[in-house]
Amino acid sequence: MKKVYLLSKVDETKCIGDKICENVCPTGAIKVVNRKARVDETKCAACLECLDMCNEGAIRMVPRERPLTMGVDPLDVDQDELRALCDRARFDPDDPICLCTLTPAKEVAAAILKGAQTPEEVTLMTGIRTSCGMWCMAPILRLLKAHGLETAPPKGYRWYDVDANLWDIPEAVSQKYPEYYLEEDKKLYDESMLDNLILMLT
Amino acid sequence: MLETAIQPPEIMPSVFGPELPRQRAADLPGIVSLKVSQLFEDIAQAIYLRGDDLSVVRQATKEALDVVDMGMIKAQDSINILCSEHAFNILEGKPYAQMLKTIKDVVQERTGCQNIRLRFCAGGGITEAREIIPYFQLDSHFGGQVRGTGPFDRGVPIKTEIGTLYGLARVYDADWFIHAHNDDPREIYFHRLIDRALKPFTMSYARFETRSAYHMNFGNRSSNIVPRAIFDSPFVQEKFAFTCFLTTSPAGITGVDADNDLHQLNRRLTVNTLNSYGKLMRIFAEIDECVAVLDAGRWPWYLHAGGLTSGNLFKAPIDFMDLSVGSIRKEKGDVKLNSAVKALVINYAWRELFVELPRIYPTIVAGSALARGLAKRILKHSVVAESLQTAMEFALRISKTDKVIVFDGSYGSINLSPALGEYLLEKAPEVAQRVEEKLLPMWLLQRGIDSEAVQGPVLDRRSG
Ligand code: SF4
Ligand code: SF4
Repeated sequence: MKKVYLLSKVDETKCIGDKICENVCPTGAIKVVNRKARVDETKCAACLECLDMCNEGAIRMVPRERPLTMGVDPLDVDQDELRALCDRARFDPDDPICLCTLTPAKEVAAAILKGAQTPEEVTLMTGIRTSCGMWCMAPILRLLKAHGLETAPPKGYRWYDVDANLWDIPEAVSQKYPEYYLEEDKKLYDESMLDNLILMLT
Repeated sequence: MLETAIQPPEIMPSVFGPELPRQRAADLPGIVSLKVSQLFEDIAQAIYLRGDDLSVVRQATKEALDVVDMGMIKAQDSINILCSEHAFNILEGKPYAQMLKTIKDVVQERTGCQNIRLRFCAGGGITEAREIIPYFQLDSHFGGQVRGTGPFDRGVPIKTEIGTLYGLARVYDADWFIHAHNDDPREIYFHRLIDRALKPFTMSYARFETRSAYHMNFGNRSSNIVPRAIFDSPFVQEKFAFTCFLTTSPAGITGVDADNDLHQLNRRLTVNTLNSYGKLMRIFAEIDECVAVLDAGRWPWYLHAGGLTSGNLFKAPIDFMDLSVGSIRKEKGDVKLNSAVKALVINYAWRELFVELPRIYPTIVAGSALARGLAKRILKHSVVAESLQTAMEFALRISKTDKVIVFDGSYGSINLSPALGEYLLEKAPEVAQRVEEKLLPMWLLQRGIDSEAVQGPVLDRRSG
């Protein structure tokens, strides 16, 4: 659950329409129309990414009149389906998969079961990936793929599809590089003991 | 043996941080200083610790570059010198900035190349570049050829042995690049000192999806295949000219190392880190109770005390240099944050990236001005004291300890309370013996290095 108190606002006199903001917005809230960036207020999660990346200083954050609430109740979906999806993606449903918002895997899984088909839709529904925006992309992609969804990136560079993971490393590579303990880490995972970034910090 | 507290490095103003503190923890009554060399006399000595005279760093860079082949760079080529944000946090960033400027000067002189650009690779946002580049006058030294890039910038696909990963287009947009980094062990609990010198190919020069895969799709040993795969890829190899590292020990800057072979430099770095930092890391694990004070200008996990980052105290109980230790889930009960930290006092730190700390440690924020600059979700789990002094008094009262350690960016010495100083001095001989006789040989062996072959405090290009 995330409450959003701020909103991105574009100064059109400064905006040069280079679409940098459009390419970094995790929800697709900001788009360039007629060479000027426009913000869809219903979608802005106040992640500050556009503010950080805009080279023209055309963006500032303003308070929202009413806060926007993002969040999905995992209990709203079939619990067996939810657990099965988390299993296929290799997450404990209660694992937080975002370092900043601490969104658990089960909330993202619930969003997907309720119809989210892209990382942007997952973010809009749950509020995940709206702070540092960085560490939680791989888990989101894992959950979407585990649900059988095509993860085709949008035009531009908002996100790319990165698949690399412990379980899909070719065996030959695994054997070539024993110094990375790939097989041992896989085994630890199977014993439900493998740690990821978030669990390391808690 | 304990001395008057040393003045810590100055804090660089930043939009990521709150208002600068009026008082530093080193100024508090009852804070003293313990030289790291008094704990462990074999810690590699520093050539630079503080001050504006950076001539030793310039000289060390020149000498290190003397043995590097630059023959591949032609006068008409373009070349990117890649630098990363964290190193500007080491001793006010001055030595790293000096190393970068010197690399540029030497490359220009030796190759005749004029198109030498600096690429500043941000840890998070590109705002870091907008602050740091002018602060260190890098733009003027590089004749304006300086650009920031960050994890959300346009990417470039890199075909690797483990699939397609994405680097940052601006990192690789020259004929050649120079990997200019530092050897601060920083997050040993993540990289495990497995190919530390290669880590920036994921965590600094790559897009956010690749960084996320590194941290979230692997364990903390196996994740190091990601930077290795990127660095060894034909795309990256084709552009790699050489590498140059600022080297450190808990005592300060120990020198500069450079090589055309990153794997060779990585081997030296590994040996030096285990030699120089190993004992200090293990003595952090001996601290039975303490108040930790955050008082420097970066993210709360990355603030130095005696050259070792705060994260190494929060994660101290486990020996992460021991590669037989896998990554264990919290349910097993032994990889939680260090329970010896009884309270956390925040006098200064950048405002995010520690959402978990105040949930776990009783946290006292030193003053309302600081509180105004911290994230709401941190304040939700903290109390705000009137001043640093009252924050400390409160922390000591609730934690019922007189041991205090201050993470204020210092190298060479640790600012701490006398009780903790005496305690560490008492523990040091046993830790030193254990590391020398048992742990260091094991750490080295686990990384394929024969301990017999690496005698001496610092391995350099000539000896290693
Ligand atoms: S990044 Fe800034 S200048 Fe570019 S389109 Fe967006 S608001 Fe306009
Ligand atoms: S603040 Fe974030 S969510 Fe809002 S428009 Fe900017 S990039 Fe999009």
